[in-house]
Amino acid sequence: MSGTTLYVALVAFGVLAGVLSGLLGVGGGTLMVPFLTLVAGLSQHAAEATSLLVILPTAIMGTLTLRRHGVGNAGVALRFGVVGAVGAVGGALLALALPASALRIVFAVFVCVVGLKMVRDAVLSWRRPA
Amino acid sequence: MRVLASSTGAERSRFAFLRIDRELVAIGLLGGVLSGLLGVGGGIVMVPLLVLWAHYGQREAHAASLGAIIPISIAGIVTYGIAGEVKVGPAIALTIGSVCGARVGAGMLARLDERILKSVFGLFLVGVAVLMAVRG
Repeated sequence: MSGTTLYVALVAFGVLAGVLSGLLGVGGGTLMVPFLTLVAGLSQHAAEATSLLVILPTAIMGTLTLRRHGVGNAGVALRFGVVGAVGAVGGALLALALPASALRIVFAVFVCVVGLKMVRDAVLSWRRPA
Repeated sequence: MRVLASSTGAERSRFAFLRIDRELVAIGLLGGVLSGLLGVGGGIVMVPLLVLWAHYGQREAHAASLGAIIPISIAGIVTYGIAGEVKVGPAIALTIGSVCGARVGAGMLARLDERILKSVFGLFLVGVAVLMAVRG
């Protein structure tokens, strides 16, 4: 893809990533990085850097929207995030010293099990009167 | 239980803005470390931990995670020193779409049934797991 088509696709994909980000409380990098490398042809580093820059305004907009709807506590969330930021720097430094591929598989299994548990919990709670 | 606050009354009130639940500190650190370690967004780690460990409701967990991503992404931007790597055109195009999308998504988060949220998030996690296994 190139030129105008690519930019239309990027905006459209941005909408999808933004909706999922606001709805699921995630950054959206998990979706944007593969898209940027596979479709837009960016290198892994450029894709990660670019997606990080997109995540920031997306999370700000999502949080402002939630605040208007009276959902959540933005103050607590921000403080929680500062702790997370410290952990993320630690994790990034640790990543340089550890074999990432093995970790990635273990993590994929963990995420899959947690995801299935959540679907199961939701289905079970549907059967009970709310 | 509160931490990050001093023990004396005067100190406690002065630093009240620093108070945060102990579980949140642990989850923030763990989520952050896993996120930095594996290059995944913090949300797919923090939301399940908030729900399963800190017993947050699904909606509140999504909201807390989204807010937490603001400082986390700032730290990421600083750590990776992205100035030279960012592709400005794609970043702007994605941002235009995703900021509009985030309004819609957050509006849906405020209204949707928690069971639907839980199902959609669970399916998203399974999808991410498949994506990670394929790419990994």
